[in-house]
Parts: sequence; structure tokens; C-alpha cells
Amino acid sequence: ALCSRLSSMRAASSCTNGQTGCHFLSLANLFDRVIQHSARMHGISNDLHSEFELYFLPSKNQIGRVSRNCHTSTILTPNGKENAQRIAREELTEVILKLLVAWREPLWHFHQNMAQHREFNNFSSNKSLEMSEMVHELRRGVQKVVEKMQMLGVINSSLGNLGSPEALLASDRAEWRLMNDYDLLYCFRRDSNKIQNYLKILKCRIIPEHGC
Amino acid sequence: MEFAGTREETTLGPHFTDCISRDQETFRCWWSPGSLQNLSSPGALRVFYLKKDSPTSAWKECPEYIHENRECFFDANHTSVWIPYCVQLRGQNVTYFNEDDCFTVENIVRPDPPVSLNWTLLNISPSGLNYDVLVSWKPPPSADVGVGWMRIEYEIQYRERNATNWEALEKQPHTQQTIYGLQIGKEYEVHIRSRMQAFVKFGEFSDSIFIEVTEIPSKDYTVPLTLVLIFGVVGVLTVIMLIVISQQQRIMMILLPPVPAPKIKGIDSELLKKGKLEELNFILNGGGVDGLPAYATDFYQEEPWVEFIEVDEEDAEGGDKEDNYNSDTQRLLGLPHRNIEGFSAISHPDDDSGRASCYDTDLPEHDTQRLMASLLPGQPEDNETCLDAPASETGEKPLIQTQIGGPQTWVNTDLYAQVSNVMPSGGVVLSPGQQPKIQENTSGSERETQKGGKQNEDVEGIKEQKRNEPQFQLFVVVPEGGGYTAENNTQQTSTPPSTSVPGAGYQTIQPQPMETKPAATGDANESPYILPEPSQPQLFTPVADYTVVQELDTHRSLLLNPPPSQSPSLCQPQHPLKVPMPVGYVTPDLLGNLTP
Repeated sequence: ALCSRLSSMRAASSCTNGQTGCHFLSLANLFDRVIQHSARMHGISNDLHSEFELYFLPSKNQIGRVSRNCHTSTILTPNGKENAQRIAREELTEVILKLLVAWREPLWHFHQNMAQHREFNNFSSNKSLEMSEMVHELRRGVQKVVEKMQMLGVINSSLGNLGSPEALLASDRAEWRLMNDYDLLYCFRRDSNKIQNYLKILKCRIIPEHGC
Repeated sequence: MEFAGTREETTLGPHFTDCISRDQETFRCWWSPGSLQNLSSPGALRVFYLKKDSPTSAWKECPEYIHENRECFFDANHTSVWIPYCVQLRGQNVTYFNEDDCFTVENIVRPDPPVSLNWTLLNISPSGLNYDVLVSWKPPPSADVGVGWMRIEYEIQYRERNATNWEALEKQPHTQQTIYGLQIGKEYEVHIRSRMQAFVKFGEFSDSIFIEVTEIPSKDYTVPLTLVLIFGVVGVLTVIMLIVISQQQRIMMILLPPVPAPKIKGIDSELLKKGKLEELNFILNGGGVDGLPAYATDFYQEEPWVEFIEVDEEDAEGGDKEDNYNSDTQRLLGLPHRNIEGFSAISHPDDDSGRASCYDTDLPEHDTQRLMASLLPGQPEDNETCLDAPASETGEKPLIQTQIGGPQTWVNTDLYAQVSNVMPSGGVVLSPGQQPKIQENTSGSERETQKGGKQNEDVEGIKEQKRNEPQFQLFVVVPEGGGYTAENNTQQTSTPPSTSVPGAGYQTIQPQPMETKPAATGDANESPYILPEPSQPQLFTPVADYTVVQELDTHRSLLLNPPPSQSPSLCQPQHPLKVPMPVGYVTPDLLGNLTP
């Protein structure tokens, strides 16, 4: 199922190149695919986090021991349903993209560490790789959705700068290098849940008639 | 999240029992005063929480108390998802805080159970024993699924009415699911619970519903079916009966073909039925085309079932029909005036009638050497006794007492000829007493014939003699013990035929070999048992057809005629009893000797 989603993402991205023969998916389908993708990403992050807790940190509740905030704490995110429904669509979309951008490199490095440590079994190592790839694919997918929305006039066109180098540089503050592995997993688990939630809310705000 | 306070109950201070969110927008926390009862009064303990959304956050008191439940309720304004919360209890001067009491709201979400749980029957298995059920429900109203704020997956569990263990189906996010393989007649209990996708904590179970499907009254289908079957079978049977009755004759012919009754050539069975004896006699007497022996009619005219020996008409030389005796007996006995082939010609029709099965008709006539043992009751005892000395299974030269005579000998045969033997080739041997001319024939020399011509080692010398004198009458002893040889041959016939070549049909009629032969026949000597007949070709004195036992000799042989004193016998018979016995009687003493 993941491969189908990835291929659909690639298909969506290749359509923007203006190739002949590729058909345009409706916005609702795009949203559905993206939401499915984010759900899967969140599931993997949950599994990895639970495994990490099982292997390295047997004590139950580690929330109080989170020494640092996540590096994405600086990103203002709506912390409730009403807040998420109140902010503008563009803001919500921007939050999603920021989060996705912020996690691309940390996950990549995390996977590198996992492969080197060999303390995890291959199952976990594959999951970390999958996770890092997913983040990247999801970001591209959400960008396609944004472009589609902008094309349809759903949102303003002022969000085009997210793929710009400034946004990338802004997110790449290397704060994530100070986090240990457990904090990284915990933070990403939380953020992937946010992404999933925000995407669902965004879809139901824009296209409420399709599966909300 | 589990609170540490739940681990020990003995000396436990105030602690939080649980914090739960149902909709990810609000949450509640419950606390317990512990074993210190003096703090159980409302207001004795206060709840404070810390919301770590900024480094400068501070502890705040519970926004809403529900003292009767010892519950602190956080409404939507005070609830923030993805932000860590910590709660603590404060007494008068004491703060009860545990690090484990920190959580984030999304991790404490336990959705409410679904509502409107119901089921519909999908199908029933062909065997009628199982069925499938589709269970459907609605998501909990407290969970805002429509907005997409909560993504819930459901788990159905079911069990039989009185079972203890639940069967859990796979979790899935849709609002309906199929339960397969329920059994008819059993009542099932089903309930459902929900949880957030990719999270751990389940909500509570819903109220149970009960599923039961009883036997479907399939009589609607089976009753007409059985009726149709019954009527169909009855109809088919009726048709068959009609066919059978109408075609009775034909069917009887096909199923039970009539057994061909024995028929006499040329005789209409109607004659026999109607009892026209005169016509029948005429026919049977040869008046017609048939050449039946006349004497047979006297015996069998009232027994039409008797099957007569068919004698081929061609064999009757000269076609002496008027001379029935000659032709008949000649045919019975074969045509001796013919060459040797005539012996085999006896059985021209070769319909195997009246012939014992052990006779081999395939023997080449000329080359076969046959062991002949004559069952002649009138053999002189010296011959018999003389056989004692050389009597042995192996290497014994069987004597052949043959009556050799020309065809003219047959002319003088009586009306009734005592058949001594039947030849393998089908010839019939008559008792020698009827042909007094036989003695003239020098071919009364010993001859040996071996059945199959295989065991000729011992009788080679004799073979030549046989060949030189082809004309001889072969006396073949009835292998299975003729009627009048019961006493003599029962013992002999029992053992030797078993060892002899099948179809040999030779038996020793001499009682002497009775003792020796059984002992000797057990050996590998497969030669037909040899009659220890006298080596000398004796001229047989004509004897009557029926002879009485006169004496017993030492070897318990039945002496039919007292040995003539002038007989040139090599051996001197020794009689245990030299008292001449009255003719025709067997004294008990002799009888005792008879029995082995």
C-alpha cells in the first residue's frame, strides 16, 4: 500500500512537469492519499517509539523526563480542535509544511545512527529508513496539494515560499542535533500525530463532503 | 498513563488514580486520599496542574472540581493537545507529587464506545450449520470524527452465551464488520470498543448485543422435494411394472433362458411326453435313422432323461444294423479288427459321453505305452502271487494282461458285456471271460504301457513286445474304483492314482499290492503303479463275469479261483487256509482277513 501511495505521489509530482498522458487527480483524492500517508507515518513512528522504550528505557512514563523541548516547539501549532479550526487554511497548511520540512534531516541522521549501532534489529532499522523517506515523500505530496489548492483558488498564493531556501534554512537550526535518540523519537511521534490531525482537519474544512 | 500510587495500597498517600480524555478536547483526573482518611473530606486536598507550554509556566489549580467523584475536570479552554501536563495534590502543607503524573492529552485519550450496535444475517452455509453476520454501529458521539479531529479504530469481541473467553476480531476503522462462522442454534454475545488509531488505550466496551439464529424452517423446501421424489419413484416403478408385465414372455426368455434338455437324436421329445411307447421303441430299436442299441431300450424306455452314447454311424463297419448286438458291442468296444487307430476311433464322436474325465484322448496311439492292469477277476492266483516277488513300485514290470483277439471274438459276446475298463482313448474293455479265443493270441505276453509314455525305463523290453503285437485289448481299470472292485481297489485306488500321472487310470486290482503299494507309492515314483502281475503271459482261463471269492492267500489277496495245480507258476502260492472253501461264500475268517 505504501508503494502505491509513493507511486501516486510521484505521479502527482510528474504531472506538474506537464507530461502528456498523466491525468489530474481530484483534490479530494489527493487529500485522501496524503492523509493515508501521514497515518502510516505516524504508525511507524509510534512503533519505533514503543520499541525504543522497550529496549532502552524500561520505566513507564518518560514524559516528565523529557529534558528538552522538541526542536519544533518553536513552530506555533494549534493545540486544540477549535484552534485548528479557527486559524486560516493557509496558516494550517504552512504549519504542516514547516513540520515536514523540519523533520527531514533529523530523521535521516537518526536512520544513519540506527544502521551503525546495530543494536536495533533489522526491523527497526528498516522502519527508521522508511520513516525518513516518508517524511520526504509526504512533504512533496503536501506541496502538490497546496499547488492544486492554489490552482483551484482555494487558498491564497502567498504560500509559495515554503519550498524556498529561506524556509529550509530557517528550519535547519541544528537544534535537533542536541537531542538524544529517545527524545527525537518522542518528538517525532508527537509531530506526526499533529501532521495527521492537521491534514484531516484541513481536508474537512475545504472538502467536507468527501468522507468526513 | 498509570500512576505510581496504584502499586501499593497499604501506606499510600493521596494520589491520582487516573486521567482520561474522551474526545481529545477535555479530560478529567480522579484522585484518592489513600489510607489517610483524614484527608478524605472535600477540600482537604487540592489539585494543581502544570502545563508545560512555555518555560515560564506555573502550577495552577484545577479549573473545575467535582468533589463527589473526587474528580478534576479540564474543559476545552484548559486542554491543549500535544503539550505535557503534570498534576499534583496538595494538602495543608504537603505536596504529593509524582513524576509519573505527567502526560500529554493525546496519549490519555480513551474514546467512548460506539453506539447503535446491531447485526444483520448475511448468509447461511450450505450445510445449514453456520452463518455469517454483519455487525454495524455508529461512532461515539463524543468523538468528533466528522471533523477529522479523531480517527478511531474499532475492535469487536464476541463469545458464546456461557463461554468465558472472548473472541476478538481484527481492529479496523470502519463502522461495520462481518463475523464469520457462527453456529446455528447458539446464542452469541457481541460488544465493541474503540481507540485512537496508532495509540494504545482502548475505551470502554459497549453494551452487549445478542445474536442468535435458530434452525431455519426449511420444511418449505424439503417437504415438496420429498413429495416429488416419492411420486417420481412410484411413477417409475409403475412404468417398470407395466413393461415387465406386458413383456413378460420376452423378459423371461432373456433372463432365464431355457436349459436345453437332453435330446436324443432323431427322437422328438414330444413322443416322450405323449408316451407313445410303440413309436419310441421303434425308434430306439433302430428302426429309424438312429442306431441306438436295442438293448438299451429295455432299460431306458421309461427314462427319457438318459443320455445315450452317440455312436457315429460311420464307425459301424458294414453297417450291420440288423445285427444290433454286433454293431452295438462293436461300437461300444471299438473296432478291434481295425488297426490300432481303431482304438482311438472308438471315441469318434468324441463327445465325451460316458467317458471318465481322466482319460487323455490325445495320446498317440502307436507310441504310447500303457500300463495295463486288468481288473479281471478271474486271474489265476499264481499270477497274483508271483507278482509278489517282483512286486515293487520301481522297476517293476507291469504286466499287461491283454486279451488279444480279433474282431471275431466279439461276435460271441453276450448280450451284456461286463465292462472291465474303459480305455483312455475311450475304448471299453470287457472281461476276458467272454472271449475264449483270446488265449490263442500270443500277444498275451506281457506288455507294459505307460501312460504318457514317460516312464519307460523299466519296461523297455516289454515295449517292443507291445509294439509287435498291436492288436490287443487294453484292459484299463476303472480308476475310481468300479463297483465290483470296491473291496480290492479302494485302498489301492486311493493312493496310487494320486501319485500316478493324471489320467493314468491304472489300478492294481491285485490285492497283493495293497500293502506294498501304499508304502511304495509315497515315493517319487511317478510311474503308474504297477500291477505286480505275473511275468508270464498267462493264458487266462475263461472266467465268469462274476466270480466269488474263494480264498485268501497269505497276502490277503482274494483268490477267486483256487490255483490249478498244473499251472506253471514259478511261485508257490501259500495259502493260509488250505481248506477249500465253499464256493460263493466268504467265511467270517476270510472276512477278517479281508479287512486290512
